[in-house]
Amino acid sequence: MLASIAAVVVLPLILPSVAMATEVVVFIVATLGCNLLLGYVGLLSFGQAISFGVGAYACGLALIHLHVGVWGGLFAALICSAIAGLVVGALSIQKRGIYFVMLTFAFSQMFYFIAYAMAGVTGGDNGLLNVPRPPLTVFGVTLLSLATPLSMYSMAAIVFLILFAFLRRVVASPFGSTLIAIRENEERAIAVGYNTRIFKIIAFVFSSWVTGIAGALYALFLNFAPLSNIDVSMSERIIIMTIVGGANSLFGSVLGATFYVVVGNLLSSVWPRWLLVLGIILIVVAGYLRGGLWSGVEWTWQRLRARWAVAGAIEQREDGGDA
Amino acid sequence: MKLSRRKFVKDAAAGAMLVGGAPAMLGRAFAAEKVRLCSLNPLSGAFAGVGKPGEAGAHLAIQALAKDYGLDIDYVSIDSEGNPGRGVAKVLAEIQQGGTKFFAGAILSSVALAVGAEVHKAGGVFFTSVGADEVTGANCNRSMFRWSVPTYGAIQETVVPLIAMFPDAKRWYTITPKYVFGDSLLRNAVDVFKQKGMEHVGNSYHSLTETEFSGYLTNAAAAKPDVLLLLNFGSQSTNTLRQAADFGLKQKMKIVMVWAAGLEQYQEIGSDILDGVYVGCQYDVTIDSPGNKKIVELFKRDANRISSYGSVAGYICADLVMRGMKAAGSAEPAAVIKALEGMKYEGPTGDEEIQAFDHQCVKNYYLLKGKPAAQKKSSDDYVEIVSFGKSFLTQAQSLCKMA
Amino acid sequence: MNLYLIQVLNGLGIGMIYFLIAVGLSVIFGIMNFVNFAHGAFYLLGAYLCYAIAAATDSFWLALAVGPLAIGALAWAAETRFLCRLYRVEHMYQILVTLGLALVIQELVVLIWGPIGTHVSAPALFRGVLSYGDFAYPKYRLFVIGFSAVLALTLWLLLERTRYGAILRAGTESTEMVSLLGIDIFRLFSLTFALGAYLAGLAGVLAAPIRGAEPFMGPEALTIAFVVVVIGGMGSFAGALAGGLLVGVVQSVMSSLWSEGANVMIYVAMALVILLRPRGLFGRT
Repeated sequence: MLASIAAVVVLPLILPSVAMATEVVVFIVATLGCNLLLGYVGLLSFGQAISFGVGAYACGLALIHLHVGVWGGLFAALICSAIAGLVVGALSIQKRGIYFVMLTFAFSQMFYFIAYAMAGVTGGDNGLLNVPRPPLTVFGVTLLSLATPLSMYSMAAIVFLILFAFLRRVVASPFGSTLIAIRENEERAIAVGYNTRIFKIIAFVFSSWVTGIAGALYALFLNFAPLSNIDVSMSERIIIMTIVGGANSLFGSVLGATFYVVVGNLLSSVWPRWLLVLGIILIVVAGYLRGGLWSGVEWTWQRLRARWAVAGAIEQREDGGDA
Repeated sequence: MKLSRRKFVKDAAAGAMLVGGAPAMLGRAFAAEKVRLCSLNPLSGAFAGVGKPGEAGAHLAIQALAKDYGLDIDYVSIDSEGNPGRGVAKVLAEIQQGGTKFFAGAILSSVALAVGAEVHKAGGVFFTSVGADEVTGANCNRSMFRWSVPTYGAIQETVVPLIAMFPDAKRWYTITPKYVFGDSLLRNAVDVFKQKGMEHVGNSYHSLTETEFSGYLTNAAAAKPDVLLLLNFGSQSTNTLRQAADFGLKQKMKIVMVWAAGLEQYQEIGSDILDGVYVGCQYDVTIDSPGNKKIVELFKRDANRISSYGSVAGYICADLVMRGMKAAGSAEPAAVIKALEGMKYEGPTGDEEIQAFDHQCVKNYYLLKGKPAAQKKSSDDYVEIVSFGKSFLTQAQSLCKMA
Repeated sequence: MNLYLIQVLNGLGIGMIYFLIAVGLSVIFGIMNFVNFAHGAFYLLGAYLCYAIAAATDSFWLALAVGPLAIGALAWAAETRFLCRLYRVEHMYQILVTLGLALVIQELVVLIWGPIGTHVSAPALFRGVLSYGDFAYPKYRLFVIGFSAVLALTLWLLLERTRYGAILRAGTESTEMVSLLGIDIFRLFSLTFALGAYLAGLAGVLAAPIRGAEPFMGPEALTIAFVVVVIGGMGSFAGALAGGLLVGVVQSVMSSLWSEGANVMIYVAMALVILLRPRGLFGRT
């Protein structure tokens, strides 16, 4: 938890712009949603873009037409993406393995079609333009005007930290343990008496509303909700961030999203064929570093600890010897 | 004590993993004296084919012209990846990181509209050449300028001359992409059909990613039109045309591609198929104007390439931003905007002018016809100009109400 | 009525190409339980090799003969070198690796041939239309239907009448049994993967004169392949054929009835099949 706070404080300082830091935080939240589903329940869903896109549209539309504040926008995103998640999840959960994956893929395409067909509402391929960014208020008192990049970032960062703390509690709770049990061996969980379907649907809904909030933050950040938010390639991007960061750990989301956004931006400004490098990175990570960057961090940490432990033991012996 | 120290160090080490930004710190250079001009194009992803010439054109403009204008331009190229979200995020980063106020390019309408809104918020200048009407219509703003002719002019300068040339061709079939842009083209075409008493015998919509047009072409052929009007663009129009030729439709009806992408697309289609097909385009290398002669020369001399719409669009957008700075005598966006409004200049299509009320450039749109391979003067001589003209909505008709 | 006849013919042509793309994926997944997101990249390479060989030697037939073989060989090499390590791994890692591979191949294509698409001419023998009164149909598309039908028959004979085919069919039921019977499972996998890639490459070569070759055509083939495999049934040859033709014909006929929706209909169909009859038309449970 401390690491997350440190990361969030450090990001805008080391990255070349606050905008990039905000983009990173948005995708960290999106990756958290995917992480919950993929890492803790073991469900690979191509439906992340559905929640992300629905969240962005819901927030944008609420702000434009209903003139609600930022809280209202986030809340609208939460509700709408949770509902979308409930519908897609309830239908998809009925199948397992590759069929589940394909089903979420099919739903993703259907939602994309709906979004672009309803051009009057969503702006179609032009996207939802001119999403306002009203100041953050509580009971009419303005807490934070979100006009400056840093204040936008701060809000996104705070939302992330709240969600991160919340998800850590969820994962550590009995509910979280059940999810892990389902991932490890679903038959056994059923045998023990859990209604795994309900658990999976709840996890799906959780994943959806978290991703939906990420979409809302993105809409606020860009003042714009493009059609590309709900495209399957967005799902792919989020899945890549989750796996590269380390699907088995919530902090992996932080690493994965940061890595992808920063390296992606850096590479694409240097070489138009940067996707080639990304492809190689994917092959290397999935082939050799399956726990993602987080496992790399853990591995490094274990090595350091072992070395320090040995050094400490030698120290103690020398001290003891002298005395 | 040891435990909490270890935990802290562990957390710090994890945090330190994020310092991949060391090279990024070096990138945080603020341009003081030089003026930064950022060219935005899709250089990776599905639209890389159109983005590359645009970027090359912009770069050429800066290399060749900045000194002559007495400007010191710091050129930056951003890859929008053909993705509006990424494009806008990078533009925001560029505004914050480089203090950049001048932007040119875009290629994709969805990118341009959103970028235009952001550049406007930052009080900058954005010169684009995308097609969506909204850029100088419903979504116009004081920072956005557009060089290319929008859908009204494109239809007026292709459909109307053809009706005049072929008075017996009364039956028209349209193939339209289900885009906001496609619908704009269709609306304008239907208006012209009504005005001129043409029979609109049918329309086929198709989706954004369609590559198989045999179904729509079969429908079209069944309606027995005199003219097949293609309102799609890019690789979709290439495929539709290619497959129409496969089905022998060229012998049965006239085919018109309203929104062609220029030389790169002609090369992709090939003379065999392009022969006898009518295309509408924003620019052609054979345009007879002093402005174009200079551009063709420059492209040949400095870049060893033939000027095409894609590259000229990139070139002229960057060029006009610089002209604005020169005319204003300053790099202050508000002054540049004022200087650009109403500016008359020698452009690629002849005398061009930037309208003050909607920031749209008034320029020609061209109707061209594909040449048979035997008549080509060089391997890149695919089309000849049939007619051209300027058609734009008046201020009263326009949806642009700039504050 | 004539209109619908032609639409069905269109659908059969596209459907045959879909079948060729899908059958490889179906068999690869059915036997090896391996999700191959690089399948579209084989299709892409097929189209580009067709362009390159036809441009260099002016012979489409040479491209048809040699191109897919080269792709099959490439796939064999990739499989034996490093993909084989991924069979026991979870699907998500297989997806990630093959996705990465697809990206690498796509970008290499752009590096070699540029980002703009290219045109590939149909072979001289099949240029132009076949006319019969009012009815005119491109000769090349008829060739595609005919050639693919012959190919489908050959594949069927391979599956039903040869030893390799028998092993393959047994493998879709249970690879454990097959290996227990003394057959080298790894050789089987390599051959299967190479065959799948060969067929996808062949589909690319055949499709090139119809829709040109451009670097970003991989994902569309992959998506279609998954839809057809799901509808037809994983691991089933008949399923890939029936599924491919069905999807092709439905898409074509839909373009007369509801053109914008033609694409989304196939995803709705895919979802319905998974929910109501997951084994597809011909698959096993």
